[in-house]
Amino acid sequence: MPETASPSRANVVLRSALPSVLAIVTSLVICFVAVALLRGGVAVAVDAFLAMTWGAIGDVPKLVDGASIAVLLRPWGESATKAALLTLTGLSVAVAFRVGLFNIGAQGQLMVGALAAAVVGAGLELPPFVHVPLCLVAAGAAGALYALGPAILKLRRGVHEVISTIMLNWVAVSLVENWLVPGPLRAQVGGGNSVAGTAQIHESAELPRLVGEVSRLNAGIVLAVGAALVLWLWLSRFVGGYEWRAVGLGPEAARAAGIDVSGAVVRAMVTSGALAGLAGAVLVLGTEQRYPATLGAPYGFDGIAMALIGNGHPLGVLATSVLFGGLRAGGTRMQLFGVHKSFPELIQGLALLLVAARLIWIRLVDRLAPPRGGGP
Amino acid sequence: MRWVLLLVLLAVTGCKKAADSKDTPKARAVGLVTDIGGRGDQSFNDSALRGLEAWAAGSTFKGGGYEPLTPKARAATVPAELRATVKPVPVRPLVVQSKVQEDYQPNLQLVVDQGASLVIGVGFALENAVETVAKQNPDARFLLIDSPVLDAKGTPLKLPNVRTVVFEEHEGSFLAGALAGLVAKDTVGFVGGMEIPLITKFEAGFKAGVLTTNPKARVLVQYTGSFDNVQHGKQAGADLVNKGAEVVFHAAGSDGSGVIQAVKEARASGKAVFAIGVDSDQSHLAPEAVLTSMVKRVDLAVWQAVFDLDRQAFSAGDVVMGLAEGGVTLAPVTLDFPGKAEALTRVEALRAAVVSGAVVVPSTLDALKTFTPPASQGGG
Repeated sequence: MPETASPSRANVVLRSALPSVLAIVTSLVICFVAVALLRGGVAVAVDAFLAMTWGAIGDVPKLVDGASIAVLLRPWGESATKAALLTLTGLSVAVAFRVGLFNIGAQGQLMVGALAAAVVGAGLELPPFVHVPLCLVAAGAAGALYALGPAILKLRRGVHEVISTIMLNWVAVSLVENWLVPGPLRAQVGGGNSVAGTAQIHESAELPRLVGEVSRLNAGIVLAVGAALVLWLWLSRFVGGYEWRAVGLGPEAARAAGIDVSGAVVRAMVTSGALAGLAGAVLVLGTEQRYPATLGAPYGFDGIAMALIGNGHPLGVLATSVLFGGLRAGGTRMQLFGVHKSFPELIQGLALLLVAARLIWIRLVDRLAPPRGGGP
Repeated sequence: MRWVLLLVLLAVTGCKKAADSKDTPKARAVGLVTDIGGRGDQSFNDSALRGLEAWAAGSTFKGGGYEPLTPKARAATVPAELRATVKPVPVRPLVVQSKVQEDYQPNLQLVVDQGASLVIGVGFALENAVETVAKQNPDARFLLIDSPVLDAKGTPLKLPNVRTVVFEEHEGSFLAGALAGLVAKDTVGFVGGMEIPLITKFEAGFKAGVLTTNPKARVLVQYTGSFDNVQHGKQAGADLVNKGAEVVFHAAGSDGSGVIQAVKEARASGKAVFAIGVDSDQSHLAPEAVLTSMVKRVDLAVWQAVFDLDRQAFSAGDVVMGLAEGGVTLAPVTLDFPGKAEALTRVEALRAAVVSGAVVVPSTLDALKTFTPPASQGGG
């Protein structure tokens, strides 16, 4: 740590989180102004942003007007689903970051994980308390195996993980979406009807819904929050986690200190793949109930944004993902005000761009609130 | 932060009034949720949007809002043979596009919550979502395009508030096959996407058509195994042309534009081959090579539902749209070939025979085996 004096703990947290917060706020303001300019005034922009907010946290005005609690629970379900997916892929990328690896392959790992969950979910008939965990384990294992290859290639042959994971993404697309899903694993239905994707999973494999059928709020978000907490504890309180961080900060120094660098890299990469695989399982077991013909959103790549905006910290990733999960779920509603369907992604992209300019924010923070003890 | 304030001020002062863009609140709202293809796919979604926005509401989507079309501009979007029937309906479109699969269900729920009198789900990918949302909102009405409602095992299911529309693609393909048989001497080709019931339906109808007008002709068949790979289509198309196909019909989604490209290139190198497009009139892809297209009138199905809604005649149930209902048809043939007039007369006669029920077009390859082509009535 370059700081000379020891600033208070709150100060440290603040200084690492503030650039991200400022970047997000700035991107929201820019996007607000853009909507106001392009879509006919501030009133429209206010309406659109309010619609997004109610779509994210629940339609409070409608509830006050006497609508059923569903207007609250449904948006929660959608926001939580997206937040869970983003958290898991974000953690996946963040874990790899910690040992100094750039895992661009979360998307591919997510796809094989999703497929594994769909196959185990549809292929076996078991009681729910066994079936759901088994599907999750299968998805995690598939993702982990898929990430193991690049880790071994890196250690044995020095193949850069960016190259190998990017290429494995395409292998996953070809293997899963161009061959297995439309081919051998395609759902068989009677008559002249066609169904896209794999067979529907059994009810026993569905992630339990938390508030009944009225909302899609499911156990996926619990899993994601749990993963973030466990990872945070592991990295900050356990020797193994300390070793990962040491390897990430300087592999040579870590080796000199007697840390098993190769082992740490393999373990972190496998964890990374497993987390991305779990994201695939949450998608299949939570909302889709099958592997669809094509997996819509590139959550694996969004994970990179979550990890960067969340500053690589598990709790930062969680907070970022909850925010953007909400924005995305709610952003759909902005279409009613003529705003493009990709608007939430635009906010996310802008925030990422601004986070990349971290130094500017740090300098700004320094000027406004000089670090105590370290002042010139 | 001073510059932010400045920008906001700019936004306040430099913009037109928001109230202008508000529609008249009297017109009832009709919701439409696209699949992930979305607006501008030049195919299924655009066709459905045309049925709602242009044909029914008489408006066009521009810069995030709706602008009314002049009666002339509106009529230009309706094919000539439908202009008399397709009347404007006073409705307000409420379109939500889907970014990803898992948005289908919340998007349908969203338009229901916005008070839409009818909610349209475009494409069989929305089947599950329409089923769930329709069950949760028994008072709302739904239209599902291109699939019946299916339960978990894939057996059709009836819901009291859902109308579904499927198209008799084999009937349109029958006419395409008949025309192909008349144009070609001895070989025609068919390129399918994935070998699934929905697509073998095209193959069966097409083969029946060829069998009717040119019983001696060979029908070469190739499946690409995908719907989104132009290269696969191009390869399959070139393959069939090399094997001597004189007319190639495709039912292969985006692969099909590769088929048309292959035919176009073969023509450029001096071969006399034609392509037949699918879903919408694809002649704009290669005007000199596309003989006709087997058109699915999604726009008509959407307009019909909106029209029925307006005159209180909307009914749930499974609707099947074939040649008789105008749900499938051939796009106008603008290219010239020897014996064109007689060929078109013959195709029209066959259309009449299918519409009247005199000819029953096989919809599966099994049914094709027992299909006896109607005798030619003194054709040229």
